[in-house]
Amino acid sequence: MTRKNLGRATLAALPFVLAFLVDLILFLVLKDRLPTRLAGHFDVSGDVNGYVDRTTYVLVTAPVLPVLGALWVLMVVGGRFYGRAHRLLIGGGWAVAAFLQYVLGAALIVNLDTPDGAAAGRFPLWHLAMALGAAVLAGGIGLLLARLVPAPEDPRAGKSPADRERIALADGEVAGWARTTGSWWLPLSALVIVATGTGLGYGVNWFLGVPLLVIAVPAITFSRAHVTVDRRGLTVSGLLPWPRFQLPLERIEAADSRRVDAVAEFGGWGYRIRPGRTGFIVRSGEAIVARQRGGREFAVTVEDSGTGAALLNTLVDRNRAGR
Amino acid sequence: MLFRVDPTSTVPLGDQIAASVRRAVADGAVTPGERLPAARVLADSLGVNVHTVLRGYQRLREEGLIELRRGRGAVVTEGASPRRAQLLERVREVVADARELGLTEEELLTLVRAELGA
Repeated sequence: MTRKNLGRATLAALPFVLAFLVDLILFLVLKDRLPTRLAGHFDVSGDVNGYVDRTTYVLVTAPVLPVLGALWVLMVVGGRFYGRAHRLLIGGGWAVAAFLQYVLGAALIVNLDTPDGAAAGRFPLWHLAMALGAAVLAGGIGLLLARLVPAPEDPRAGKSPADRERIALADGEVAGWARTTGSWWLPLSALVIVATGTGLGYGVNWFLGVPLLVIAVPAITFSRAHVTVDRRGLTVSGLLPWPRFQLPLERIEAADSRRVDAVAEFGGWGYRIRPGRTGFIVRSGEAIVARQRGGREFAVTVEDSGTGAALLNTLVDRNRAGR
Repeated sequence: MLFRVDPTSTVPLGDQIAASVRRAVADGAVTPGERLPAARVLADSLGVNVHTVLRGYQRLREEGLIELRRGRGAVVTEGASPRRAQLLERVREVVADARELGLTEEELLTLVRAELGA
C-alpha cells in the first residue's frame, strides 16, 4: 500500500473505529445497569416489540461497525473512486458510522436501569432524528477531512473516445446487441425476500411485511435481465417490460469493456448507486461501463461485454453525426 | 450476441437475423445452451416486426441450430457447433451458386447424391 493510500484508508476506517470504541466504552461503563434481557426491537410508534438477551445483542451488533469499516477501506483503496466521488465516499462512511453509533448507543441508553422482567423504556422517534442529525454532521466533517489527502486522479480522464473499438456498419444498416445476464443467486434472493416478507407479515405485522413484498417485485423481474445495446442506447430490462434502466445514446460519451469488482467498486451486488457511478451488478468480472456526459458511469456486468461496448461506441458516433 | 440487418438489402430481414445467429455460432460467440433474446425484445431492439424475428428463428430451428420451447424461448442446441454453422453457410453458398448457374433442384440433388455415394 502506498503512503497516500494509507492516509486514505485511515480516513475511511477512522469513523468506524471511533464509533466502535464509543459504543464499546458505553457498553462497558453501563454494563451493570443493563438488564439481562434487552429491548432490541421497536415498532413504528417507538414501543418495544422484541427482546434479545444481552450476550446475543452484543454478538449481533459488535461486528456491524468493524465489517462496514473494512468494506469502506476496501472501497476507498481498491474501488476506483476518483476526485469528487472519492471525497463523497469518505464523507458517506463518516455519516453511516455516526448514524449507527448513535442508534446502537441510544438502544443501550433506553434499556438503562430497567429491572429484569419489567417493561423496557421506549425508543422515541426523536432518537432517529438525532441519529440523522449526527449523520449529517459527521458526513460534513468527513467531507472536510477528505480534503486533507489528495483524491486519486482518474487515469482514464485523458483517454479519447476515438481510441476505442468500433464495429464497422454500412450506411443504413441497423445493429443491435442483446445478451441475458443473471446468476443463480438472483431468483434465490427474490424467493428469500418473498418468504421473509410473508413470514414477517403473518408473524409480526404487515407494516414490516408489505415493504419487503414491494421490494420483491423488482427482485423477481430482474432475476433474469436482458442487456441490449441498440438505436435507443443501453438498456437493462427484466422479465416485464417495466421497470427498466435505460441510458439513451445522447447521454453517453463513450463505453468501455472492463473488469469490475462488485465489492470494492460497488460495495455489493444488485442495483447499486455509489458516488459517481450506478451499476447493475450480478458478479465481479467483465462489464459494459458507459461513461455519461458529466462523468457519471453506468456499469452492467454481462458476458461478451467487448462486443456490446464496441457497438455502443459505434452507435454513439452515428447518433452524434446525426444519422 | 450481435444482430445486424440492412433494410435496404434484397435479402429478407428474417433471413438476415438468422444469418446473424449462424455467424455468431460459427465464430463461437454463442455456445450450446445459450438463450437467444426473446423475439419481442429483439424486434423492439432492431425496430422490426415480431413475426419477422420469429420467421428467422423458425429457419434456425429447421437448420437444427436452435430449439424453440414454450416458456423457455429460443435456445442454442447441443449440436450447434461452429463447424455445423460453417457447413450450413457453405450449403447456402452452394445453393446460391447452383441457382446462378441455372441448375434445377433435381440436378443439384443428383450432384450431391453422387458425391455422397462416392
